[in-house]
Amino acid sequence: MVIKSPQDFGAGILFILFGAIGLWVGSDLNFGTARNMGPGYFPIIICGLIMLIGLIVAGKSLAIEGPAIERIQFRPILFILMAIAAFGLFIEDIGAIIASILLIMFAAYARKDVNLIETVVFAVGTAAFVVIIFVYALGQPMPVWWGR
Amino acid sequence: MEVFDHLATGFMAAGTLQNLFFCLIGTVLGTLIGVLPGIGPIPALAILLPITFGLDPLSSLIMLAGIYYGAQYGGSTTSILVNMPGEASSVVTCIEGHQMARKGRAGAALAIAALGSFFAGCVGTVFIAAFGPPLASIAQQFNSPDYFALMLLGLVMAIVLAHGSVLKAVAMVLIGLLLGLVGTDTNTGLTRYTFGLSGLWEGIDFLPLVLGLFGIVEIIRNLENPPPPRETISTRMRDLWPNKQEIKESIPAALRGTMLGSILGILPGGGAVLASFASYTLEKKITKTPRKFGHGAVEGVAGPESANNAAAQTSFIPLLTLGIPSNPIMAIMMGAMIIQGIQPGAAVMTTRPDLFWGMVASMWIGNLMLVVINLPMIGIWVKLLSVPYRLLYPAILLFCAIGVYSTSTEPFMMVLMIVFTVFGYVLFKLGCEPAPMVLGFILGPLMEENLRRSLVISRGDPMIFINRPISATLLVATVLMLCLIILPQFRRTREEAFQEE
Repeated sequence: MVIKSPQDFGAGILFILFGAIGLWVGSDLNFGTARNMGPGYFPIIICGLIMLIGLIVAGKSLAIEGPAIERIQFRPILFILMAIAAFGLFIEDIGAIIASILLIMFAAYARKDVNLIETVVFAVGTAAFVVIIFVYALGQPMPVWWGR
Repeated sequence: MEVFDHLATGFMAAGTLQNLFFCLIGTVLGTLIGVLPGIGPIPALAILLPITFGLDPLSSLIMLAGIYYGAQYGGSTTSILVNMPGEASSVVTCIEGHQMARKGRAGAALAIAALGSFFAGCVGTVFIAAFGPPLASIAQQFNSPDYFALMLLGLVMAIVLAHGSVLKAVAMVLIGLLLGLVGTDTNTGLTRYTFGLSGLWEGIDFLPLVLGLFGIVEIIRNLENPPPPRETISTRMRDLWPNKQEIKESIPAALRGTMLGSILGILPGGGAVLASFASYTLEKKITKTPRKFGHGAVEGVAGPESANNAAAQTSFIPLLTLGIPSNPIMAIMMGAMIIQGIQPGAAVMTTRPDLFWGMVASMWIGNLMLVVINLPMIGIWVKLLSVPYRLLYPAILLFCAIGVYSTSTEPFMMVLMIVFTVFGYVLFKLGCEPAPMVLGFILGPLMEENLRRSLVISRGDPMIFINRPISATLLVATVLMLCLIILPQFRRTREEAFQEE
């Protein structure tokens, strides 16, 4: 078996998996009849269709040439995800200022060659700006510092 | 004239100082985000969505509409000056507009684009005012089978117009439908696909989904493949005026573009992208000087720019009268309306006339503001392009995070956003375009409900969809579209159209 279009092959497998998980998780939902659709009727039809398309896409990828999957670069996505996670973890307890600074610092390191001083200055400035806009001007409920 | 009474109500509602202010903020912010490279209207709306939630419904919708036009407008500015389309609907503007700019006619191209858009915007507003009420009364004859058929047609159109592989677009729509079903089943009260997480009982939250899929994945994409630096063409205020020849050539093109765009905008699946491509093709076909195309033909700027703005306006019609979004951007607008507690549909016009007509009026006001405020400020917008991306993206990311947190302080929403970022990243690597998914996501619960009702009425007989004239017509149109996709000749044209991007 030769995969001629890796991108399509991957997409096909993803669709099949998605449909299969949908069928498996939805298997305890009552299917019902056309006249009296159960909660499982529509989702199960959709999952079946997703799997069907997945099979066709994966099948075609064995026959027709297509683009390769681009190499995954771990640095950008990992740092961006860590930045969001840090914000989510800290906003509640130590407030918007520190959480925003942390987010920007993590995000900045998603690139190489970071200028530390510039980043710190930018992070502090942006955090202050954002808190002024969102908390004071727009009145969004958000703790600014800890203990509040 | 009833239309004028209605419009007067609208201008009263939209003309308050507060609403004018939010309209202004919306258009400026929209332009700001739209000018930034690689950010089209979908991510722009997604990123700015949270800041509108604190407002009352009318102000928030006015601001959102402003953001949408602003983003559209910002997109054409970058197309002309930097040859970098901010969004799909200004791809064709790039072709002719940037050529004009290279010949020293950048100012004229910008002015023609802006004035053409403004004219189209005015016509679009009148279009909505004139056709909204009659369409709403037709909508009252719509029954469940008709709604189901209409949504099916809309989804098929979205597939036809999506980039890349048709099959993948079908799968994306289906996945969107399934994601839309997560949560409590309205009919039985049972929870579905919640994996035991209480945060999913009310369904997947809209904001983390769109921000993850569009806002954040966009950032990661740009970090992986930094866009190449392009030459920026500077322009001065006094160069803004087009010469007589240019005016003479652009007026008929703008008129044709406006008509074409207004009509295409109403169709299910239609919208700015389709309109601008169609208009460009039309101008190329009927021109007496085909050799000028590709070398800065004025008609190629005036036509498509008018068409995309007219369509951007009239694509609100299906949303406001039938409650059905015709394209992914309208799906986001609908999501925003639902978050505000408004169920879009014909009922809005009678129960909240101030809301409906206020929004229509604000579209016109927004268009006027774009011309008056933005044209003289083009220099500032272009300067924005010189803000380094290394500073821009952390700020955008922070905006997304704060936006999600401030609408729901649940930590679970951050987790959802991370999940959808990863999902969007996988889709990007596998060459799947996520835009049709949003449409499916919004339509999922509506389609299920209307299918269920139809089959209850007919006692399980699927013939109900064929026996009703409205749904039968819509289904025939759906089948025709499907045949079109399969036809090899059309397939080639479709591929070529997207090649030009």
